[in-house]
Amino acid sequence: MNNETKKQTILGYLFLIPSLAVFAVFMFYPLLYTFYLSFFEWNMVKPVKKFVGLNNYIAVFRDPNTFKILGNTLAYILVLLVLNFVLPYILSFILSAVIRHGKSFYKAVFFLPSVISLVVGSILYTWILNPISGPVAIILGKFGIQMPFWSKTDGWVIAVLCIITTWKTFGYNFINILAGVSGVSQEVIEAARLDQVPMWKIFLDIIVPMSSATGIYVFITTIVQGLQYVFTPIKVITQGGPNYASSNLIYASYHEAFTLYRTGTSSAISILTMLLFIVLLLLEFKFVEKGVYYEN
Amino acid sequence: MKTNNHSEIGWHMILGAIVFLMLVPIVFALSNSFKTLQDAFNTIFEIIPSHPTLENYRHVFEKLPFVQITLNTFLIAASVTIFKTITSLFAAYSFVYFDYKGKQFFYFIMLSTMFIPFTVTMIPNYLMISKLGLRDCIWGVALPQFADVLGIFLLRQAMRGIPKALIEAARMEGIGSLKIMRDIILPLVRPSILTTGIIFFINSWNEYVWPVLILKSKENYTLSLALQMYISAEGGTEFTIAMAVSVITMIIPLALYLIFQRYIINTFAASGVKG
Repeated sequence: MNNETKKQTILGYLFLIPSLAVFAVFMFYPLLYTFYLSFFEWNMVKPVKKFVGLNNYIAVFRDPNTFKILGNTLAYILVLLVLNFVLPYILSFILSAVIRHGKSFYKAVFFLPSVISLVVGSILYTWILNPISGPVAIILGKFGIQMPFWSKTDGWVIAVLCIITTWKTFGYNFINILAGVSGVSQEVIEAARLDQVPMWKIFLDIIVPMSSATGIYVFITTIVQGLQYVFTPIKVITQGGPNYASSNLIYASYHEAFTLYRTGTSSAISILTMLLFIVLLLLEFKFVEKGVYYEN
Repeated sequence: MKTNNHSEIGWHMILGAIVFLMLVPIVFALSNSFKTLQDAFNTIFEIIPSHPTLENYRHVFEKLPFVQITLNTFLIAASVTIFKTITSLFAAYSFVYFDYKGKQFFYFIMLSTMFIPFTVTMIPNYLMISKLGLRDCIWGVALPQFADVLGIFLLRQAMRGIPKALIEAARMEGIGSLKIMRDIILPLVRPSILTTGIIFFINSWNEYVWPVLILKSKENYTLSLALQMYISAEGGTEFTIAMAVSVITMIIPLALYLIFQRYIINTFAASGVKG
């Protein structure tokens, strides 16, 4: 038996090595190196890195644009949560409890844009939402509504970039939440219905709590993945403009590194982003993973 | 019962509107890729072009090394898919069928990779790939992506569905782990491997952020990068050409999705993502 334990341990590690090696070299080592770089002034070319202590972090917080970028990041998170978390949550409940026909059709179509490149999505929407010659502007014009120059307007630019990202990510989140919502027993819902409990109350008091493991997971990935997904339309359409109005933590870090060649401030911003994500990771582990572990 | 029917129709209309919003961009891309630039602006609501033209597609293949670009995209996606599937398969097997100390810890480590934003790894990886002489090379794009926690999740989930007694029995017979994996596990989780592979392929095919840092010359471009060349903020003079590139870029993922749609959706629905 002892032999068996030994064998299982060796093989267990051996089978993990291929994945772990890739993660170690291209994820964890870079993570440490970026942390290291955040204390130096460098431009990726100079032979010497200059140690500056916490100056990069101080510079980031002294920069008035940082607060704009933090505010934008929060705005992105809120809009993405509404479009990619709240909306699919409600619709997945409707699909599982109200709709009787066409379920697999809706699922298939909602998921479809998830397989298309966000660069394609960005270019398509740039044209569809062109404020002068695009089809939406023309239709709105017929009603006498003038479309805002969204790519040049504070606020609108974030909303539209979130919509473009949502086109791609909505279906994926929808399918995931639907899996959780469908797991809630139909009898419970039927019983509540017979008692004349209104649908919105069934949703809030029964569905949401009973599918909360999936819910928290999607809530967190909407933030973590969403902020990274939205990078593509920012890079392709606005490059963070106008005047940082569409930049977020992810784009700002990229911009510092590969446009301004300031690896120090870029790394400092990345590490701060990472801290935000770590808080979410701990949340995820506390609520989701534990439950799953003891279930099995 | 009647009010129920009414509300169902109302919801169908809302869901139908979403279906419309999801599909409209794709239809517009197809339609405009067969129009001249003038027609694209003048007959904006004409879905089926009255004077269809292949000029945009011809332009793309004449002005760019487009066969090479498509091949690059394919080679990156294929190699990433193969390696990710293999590494995921081994890790999933380890998590499900072996007992050892530190399993929880390693699971946590792998999970945590999902929470590392790409900005944290981009500078070191860029420097590393440059040092290896792989900058402006498709293998420099593929190499850092040979493992993926999503695959580990999905395959682990699929393997958990196989009765452990089956594996125990095989072990009693003295059959080795690699043989068990090949002869018992692989055939049983084939649908999950297929979907995981397709998802890897599609994601890599569409990738933009990392290739844009690594690839510099046109003959090494992937489709997403080629497409980016035609973007200018206000639609631009090369708009219909961009639509042709868009159509070429999305055709493979769409075809894969339409063929394997049921598998893909079921995999996510069954796993509830979390393993």
